Amino acid sequence: MTGPSLAPAVRLDAASAAYGSRPALTDVSLTVAEGEFLALTGPNGSGKTTLLRLVLGFLAPTRGQVELLGETVGDLSVRERARRVAWVPQDEPAREDVPILDYVLYGRYAHHRTLEGDRPGEVALARSILGSVGLAGRESDGLLSISGGERQRATLARALVQATPVLLLDEPTAHLDIAHQLDILDRVRALARERRVTVVAALHDLNLAARFADRIVVLSHGRVAADGPAASVLSEELLARVWGVSADLHREARSGVPYLVPRHLLTEVSRDRTAPAAGPVHVVGGGGAARPILRALADEGFIVTAGALHLLDSDTETAEALGLASAIEGPFSPLSPSTRERHRRLLENARVIVVAPFAVGPSNVDNLWDVGPFASGTPVFLVSRPPIAERDFAGGDATRAYAALLERGAREVADLPTLLPALRGTLRAEPVRAAGGAAGRADR
Amino acid sequence: MGVPDVAPPLRSSRRRPRLVALVVAGIGTVILSVVLESVLLRPYPIPLATSLAILVHALSGGRLAPDPCAGAALGPSGCFGATFIVLNIALPEVLLAAIVGAALGVSGGALQGVFRNPLADPFLLGISSGGTLGAAILYVYRFGEAQADLYLPAFAFLGSVGTGLLIFGIARGRQSSVETVLLSGVAVANLLSAVLSLVLLGNPFGAEQLTFWLLGGLALASWTVDGIALGGVVAVGTLLCLYGRELNLLQLGPDVAQSAGVDVPRVRLRVILLASLLTAVAVAFTGIIGFVGLVSPHIVRRLAGSDYRLVLPGSAAVGALLLLGANDASVVAFPSSYLPLGIFTAFAGVPFFLFLLLRHRRAAAMGVS
Repeated sequence: MTGPSLAPAVRLDAASAAYGSRPALTDVSLTVAEGEFLALTGPNGSGKTTLLRLVLGFLAPTRGQVELLGETVGDLSVRERARRVAWVPQDEPAREDVPILDYVLYGRYAHHRTLEGDRPGEVALARSILGSVGLAGRESDGLLSISGGERQRATLARALVQATPVLLLDEPTAHLDIAHQLDILDRVRALARERRVTVVAALHDLNLAARFADRIVVLSHGRVAADGPAASVLSEELLARVWGVSADLHREARSGVPYLVPRHLLTEVSRDRTAPAAGPVHVVGGGGAARPILRALADEGFIVTAGALHLLDSDTETAEALGLASAIEGPFSPLSPSTRERHRRLLENARVIVVAPFAVGPSNVDNLWDVGPFASGTPVFLVSRPPIAERDFAGGDATRAYAALLERGAREVADLPTLLPALRGTLRAEPVRAAGGAAGRADR
Repeated sequence: MGVPDVAPPLRSSRRRPRLVALVVAGIGTVILSVVLESVLLRPYPIPLATSLAILVHALSGGRLAPDPCAGAALGPSGCFGATFIVLNIALPEVLLAAIVGAALGVSGGALQGVFRNPLADPFLLGISSGGTLGAAILYVYRFGEAQADLYLPAFAFLGSVGTGLLIFGIARGRQSSVETVLLSGVAVANLLSAVLSLVLLGNPFGAEQLTFWLLGGLALASWTVDGIALGGVVAVGTLLCLYGRELNLLQLGPDVAQSAGVDVPRVRLRVILLASLLTAVAVAFTGIIGFVGLVSPHIVRRLAGSDYRLVLPGSAAVGALLLLGANDASVVAFPSSYLPLGIFTAFAGVPFFLFLLLRHRRAAAMGVS
């Protein structure tokens, strides 16, 4: 964020846009600073392209203001706009076999007077830009004879030769393989830094957005749903809320850049607020072992609770992301009486209890013992892979607690795929237990 | 930045010699056509050497070939007749063919560019038919006969431009694909020919005069007509050729063109209007001559690449050559009569159109488009 006392490169002030009577953007305010690389993301139809079209002046806002470098876009002539902002579309259709250099020079149109030919300086500029996108020596190749990745780089060069302070990219990587996706965005970022070009790129791929952009703006139903650096914007909760997708969020070990691994679509059941919810199902976990179970159960539409978990534990993060009612202890400490009491209330309220295959140490062995009193009245499923002996770090105490549970009628299930049908079978017969204050909806 | 130390040869230098060759070939063909036509077509043949001598005599202002008829056994009136035929009938006809061919070529190139479709052509889009209808109305209802030279192009212009605007209106519709526009053009052309028939029913005598018109020909050629046509074609054609850069960008799609600074709606309107205008000039004097506008830009693209800054003037040259060639072919095949030129261009043009259509389909099916 630089540019002292300069007008922002792009500014939308409460801008709305519509196609006919169908609103496409509603009340969007956004400022992009000079030299910033902003990724615009959101599901299909969320308004990314519409926002770009507003900035390009292809579309007039129905309300609000759209400014380029301090001037209202609608007040600029087509030519003046083309000197301020260039555009790289998703896939520029090549119909004619134009030599690449000629094609790139077409981008100089806005800088020419009628009848003026290409100046020598422009040819040199085009050559140098072609070199910097890795197409040196390919000047006379025809547009139709090069690969898709090369064509996209040529398109980038065509936009760069326009020498504008702002560059807009609409899904520039949509038709490219992974290597070319990284390549083109690498080049865009390098060029943006080198030439201090402000970049706004609509990107489907959140991981690419997180890796390359200084800032991510998430659009949902034509409104800004999130805005900030990748590390603070991207979350499992955001994906569930905006895309309706279940995903795991990780961080790259070295760079700390967040990346998402999508798992599956949240089922219609979980998103359908009127569907009868089953449960509550209480999951006992820790150390990340409960994570897939929590997520799968939430996705199935069960009312899920969790406990007793520790702060900074990835199970805890998941439970929080899913908005589950849970009993949570401070980091790395033994379970306190108050946490255990809260945990017991969740257990008491549960229709079914699931014990995740978590590593049991002195700080959480009480979780197993606390299930004991409920095991005779409530169905308990013990996920048994890996076996308890391998994850007993409490000097045999865990194994004893586990055996006690089995004695009281708890059933062992091997893993998640066998747990789910068993749970469904158990819960189908049983109505929802009157929810106490602790039970939350699975997906809220 | 990987700028190579040794700069590659200046771009488009490869294309220049071809262009020069094209121009030279064009001039050569003009001369040959005159000679050929005057030798073969006239009621009494004029020897080749005499035709050439008459031309040289006229072109050099009498300094060269002082007595053009010397070699031939022609009396003074025979010599006068031969000179008159070569200079006042044959030469204007050939020049008109060249002017009209150039007009149709540029018009076709510009329409193909603006519609981004290699099948666009003033004839196929109905613009020619519109012009003919305008001219027919003048003929049938005998408006301003005294100044026919002036009124004829005016009416043909109104007809063509009206049709051009109609098609532009269709093209502007949000849902209209290029195919829609082309098919609408075909439909409009049919409607116009129905209206034409109706107009002709009102005055059957006009129909006779119009038969030639509908088939296209050069019989109206005179130095006056040539002068008007040349003036119109040079003025409008030059204006149209200035849109090469814009048409280049339009090939990348209207959005890209706009993002690069082209005022797309305005450029479209102007190019369609100018192309209609050019077509109008052609139709006003020669009737409907189809397919020259379709074929010429393709030949240029083959020879010189698809830069519209070259395609437009190149199409003018190639269009002129094509029409001259068609004229010669018609003269050679039927030396004793005026065979309407439009018949010839149709015979050559329709197979070419079908070839393009089929190739286009195949390319589209393969996803090349």
